[in-house]
Amino acid sequence: MTFWEEFLPALFKGVLTTLEMLAIAAPSSVALGILLGTLRVYGGRIASLIATAVVVTFRGFPLLVTLLLLFFGLADLHIYLTPFWAAVLGFILCSGSYQSEYVRGAIRSIDIGQSLAAKAIGMTKFQEVMYIILPQAIRRALPGISNEIIYMIKYSSLAFVVGVQEMFAVGKHFNSIYFRPIEIFLTLAAIYLVMTTAATIFFKWLEYKLRIPGIEMGV
Amino acid sequence: MGRDVVLRVEDLHKSYGKLKVLKGVSFEVRRGETKVIAGPSGVGKSTLLRCINLLTKPDKGRIWLEDVEITRPGVNINKIRQRIGFVFQEFNLFHHLKVIDNVMIGLTKVKKLPKEEAFRRAKEALLAVHITEDLWYKYPAQLSGGQKQRVAIARALAMDPVIILYDEPTSALDPQLVGEVLQVMKELARKGVTSLVVTHEIGFALEVADELMFMYNGRIIERGPPKEVVFNPRHEVTKKFFEKVGRLYGERK
Repeated sequence: MTFWEEFLPALFKGVLTTLEMLAIAAPSSVALGILLGTLRVYGGRIASLIATAVVVTFRGFPLLVTLLLLFFGLADLHIYLTPFWAAVLGFILCSGSYQSEYVRGAIRSIDIGQSLAAKAIGMTKFQEVMYIILPQAIRRALPGISNEIIYMIKYSSLAFVVGVQEMFAVGKHFNSIYFRPIEIFLTLAAIYLVMTTAATIFFKWLEYKLRIPGIEMGV
Repeated sequence: MGRDVVLRVEDLHKSYGKLKVLKGVSFEVRRGETKVIAGPSGVGKSTLLRCINLLTKPDKGRIWLEDVEITRPGVNINKIRQRIGFVFQEFNLFHHLKVIDNVMIGLTKVKKLPKEEAFRRAKEALLAVHITEDLWYKYPAQLSGGQKQRVAIARALAMDPVIILYDEPTSALDPQLVGEVLQVMKELARKGVTSLVVTHEIGFALEVADELMFMYNGRIIERGPPKEVVFNPRHEVTKKFFEKVGRLYGERK
């Protein structure tokens, strides 16, 4: 069997694993980011303190350390995560923490008048946040969120440290056997580039789809 | 309290730190009446309105809406606000919602009306402020200031409030757009929509107000039929104020 005949099927499986991790981690991290960002602004004292602690922690830890702690550290405490789920959880916590800051900034940029108007028609705080503030804040946070997702696509390669057989792990493995770094890593790079470009296009489309006629410039 | 009194404000006080903004304001509004509050900037007019729909918490004094004392602790603020319309100087429409949804959202999400019923009421309210169907599916940013403010009035009106509070509703508008908003407010007042209006538009007060209250330094220092207060004021400040405002706004009907 030639190198490529062996490498490509293995790589294909690795790509599928990478996509699987991202398919779970990306939307969940957005959800977590929205939740944390919202709690930090509207969550009352205790909830906002907890949300802040989560953000400070997982934004402060190097992702590599987070992943090792989730897999090996928790195992030491007899909590066993599979490599796949340890990686996915790490990505969600890290990315969600970063994204929460975009969401928080976006929430704070919504003019107070709309909040007063929501109260004036009798909305509860929850209704105000759900129907008035977040729909606008999320739109404004989208460029930042898209940044983080693209970043996640790339750092998903770190999952190899806990033993996930994703595309980077496959490439690394093959390189250690065949030592053909240029072919292997350029192939990996090309695939990551396709993924990040697809994400860029998706978010651009989403921004366009969600634009508010009359307000937003350059969309 | 009298059967027809829908809003009663009694000895309202409010301070921000050392600054005493309201120093004991009392008045009543009966069903169907339109009352106007005028006065120089910074004398507590906006604070007074915000106290009435509990956007600001008064330090002292009591407010009744119909037969409920809304300043009583433990009162459900959200329930009260559903029954008080509020029109802001800066319109404060919800930017991400189409005109029709701006008016419907309170009905569907707060009053929990079925969609068809909410739509019917929103439609009625929009037509009452002369926002025609071609504008219902536009976004706030695509409207003129006068249209925005009329949509904001419709949003308040659709909730079927006991009273509508207007906080300088024409002050943020270009002069040529003021007329259409005042016209709508006059029509509503004549239809018997109970209104409490903070405004410098003396013409409006003269035409439709049942009473004009002049506020100065946190108190209502003069009140009565608009013509009397404007043309025959008892206080020197009132006189000066209306002379000044009259020069600015007098030409407008």
